[in-house]
Amino acid sequence: MPPRRHFLFLLSLGLVAGIACFSSGFDPYYLDLLIMVGVNIILAVSLNLISGHTGQFSLGHAGFMAIGAYLSTLVTVFWSDSLLASANEKLAGFAASPWGQNLLFLLALLTGGLCAAFAGLVVGGPSLRLRGDYLALVTLGFGEIVRVTFQNTETFGGALGMYGLPDHTSFFWVYATVACTLFVIGNLTDSTWGRGFAATRDDEIAAASIGINPTRYKIIAFVVGAFFAGVAGALFAHFKMTIVPTGFDFTRSIEIVVMVILGGMGNTRGVILAAILLTLLPEFLRPIAQYRMVLYALLLIVLMILRPQGLFNFRFSRKKSA
Amino acid sequence: MDTTPPADPRSSAPLLELRRATVRFGGLTAVNAVDLQLFPGGLYGLIGPNGAGKSTLFNLITGLYQPTEGEVLFSGHSLRGQRPHQIARLGIARTFQNIRLFSGLSVFDNVRVACNLHRATAPWHTLLRLRAFQSDEAAITAQVDSLLTLFGLQSFRDHPATSLPYGDQRRLEIVRCLATRPQLLLLDEPAAGMNPAEKLDLIRLIREVRQRFALTILLVEHSMRVVMDVCEHIAVLDHGTKIAEGSPAQIKRNLAVAEAYLGTAAPAIPPEEKSAC
Ligand SMILES: Nc1ncnc2c1ncn2[C@@H]1O[C@H](COP(=O)(O)OP(=O)(O)OP(=O)(O)O)[C@@H](O)[C@H]1O
Ligand SMILES: [Mg+2]
Repeated sequence: MPPRRHFLFLLSLGLVAGIACFSSGFDPYYLDLLIMVGVNIILAVSLNLISGHTGQFSLGHAGFMAIGAYLSTLVTVFWSDSLLASANEKLAGFAASPWGQNLLFLLALLTGGLCAAFAGLVVGGPSLRLRGDYLALVTLGFGEIVRVTFQNTETFGGALGMYGLPDHTSFFWVYATVACTLFVIGNLTDSTWGRGFAATRDDEIAAASIGINPTRYKIIAFVVGAFFAGVAGALFAHFKMTIVPTGFDFTRSIEIVVMVILGGMGNTRGVILAAILLTLLPEFLRPIAQYRMVLYALLLIVLMILRPQGLFNFRFSRKKSA
Repeated sequence: MDTTPPADPRSSAPLLELRRATVRFGGLTAVNAVDLQLFPGGLYGLIGPNGAGKSTLFNLITGLYQPTEGEVLFSGHSLRGQRPHQIARLGIARTFQNIRLFSGLSVFDNVRVACNLHRATAPWHTLLRLRAFQSDEAAITAQVDSLLTLFGLQSFRDHPATSLPYGDQRRLEIVRCLATRPQLLLLDEPAAGMNPAEKLDLIRLIREVRQRFALTILLVEHSMRVVMDVCEHIAVLDHGTKIAEGSPAQIKRNLAVAEAYLGTAAPAIPPEEKSAC
């Protein structure tokens, strides 16, 4: 059974590449929507590892996204510019070529992801000892601190943000990343080793009694989740070609949380469906767009009452252990 | 009846040793200067009235609490400062008085997750699903299935763990312990809430498990029937202090025990004995 997953992964990468060849023929409006769907899937699935599988309620996912977005520009803007201006003709030529540009973008995605992962380690290490509401507060604070920091850093455009980023994010990049995210996070959570995430969520004391180190699992979930949020941030920035600091505020984090809750905590398929739904829904509700957050809040309340296990969760429901 | 005697104290070193172990919660002394030695292969019982400190003693051994005074030694090494998951790694497994299964996981996964302790591959094998990972997972699956079959839980394999009948949940918790391949197994009231037939099954199970997995077992139990039947050596705890220790026959005769249970000096058999038989 496991080899099938490698095959599926390669198949989906091939499929993405195949579709990408035709994506220039797509209606730009729908292509943009598709890309946003992909970015949101990455965000929701990565938060699902932290909150759904491992049970750590985090309100700072937009913070990791911001770190990925801003710091990826170190490569695509700052480093790329200095390469293009380089006295070495060959190097400058390569950097300007499509190959060079895509390679730089790959490096940028990794930079964004790794920086976010490092931030996840720094914030997660000390704060994962906190439980429930306290962790939510700390992560909330973290997200705001990140945003405010970037907002006040002149290198990154301060409150105005950054404009004119290169347009690197294509259908291929987004969905290749989606495939990688699903592959890696799927591998983690399905395996014997990854069952430790769920064990940590359900009962830390029982988990420790069978040799699982709950703190270690929580940190790993945080770091891996932050990594993919960072990559999503980098994709997002080079899709919009601008970075507006307020785009990574608290409401963005909430949006991702809603996707995870709607899809059903710990249920990857449901979370993907929810990410698709919540990306498309606002498009159909444009006339009442300003009420979106109200709608989300109502949706959450109704959901908590009627289907606490999530809209798309058809597995057995869990009793929450105290 | 199983007649394997406990290992001769003089011929081998104790597997677990408590040296004047004390646990205090503020002003309350839950475990008071308890000395205890468990020798390899023995089946030990720990009894005492409610609030005597039995569960606290388990929590002390498994690292949930640190001793306020005294020491806990496992295979001659002090457990001071060891965290619970490290102690599990050393070979001590336990069940909980109020069952603690993973409610979001199936019966199969509850046991599977305990196999992590002896997984042959590193996490990055898992991350990339390398070939070694696949054979490792297959071995673990076979191992879990054989354990579940052995304990008659295979038919519940894919059910949510917490949907099982009470007695089966207790057994599943024991299976989960065994998957960590412990040397010492601590059972906290394994017969609680069971009917007489289930208790009989449990007694058989405990004996068989001890034989098959070469375990040392310490069990806390209120059911005198189970304790007297199954244990070779019994310690009695009252208000955190060990007030008696000896063979089941000795304990039965011990007046101090009767007093702890009944509040009288009458040489009485604790009440449950009659009703359970
Ligand atoms: N974490 C704690 N903080 C404060 N007091 C505690 C704590 N844990 C246990 N105690 C107290 O320590 C004493 C011993 O409790 P313990 O649970 O060990 O008893 P027990 O022998 O297991 O009883 P039972 O037969 O009811 O399970 C009790 O008075 C209990 O209230
Ligand atoms: Mg108890």
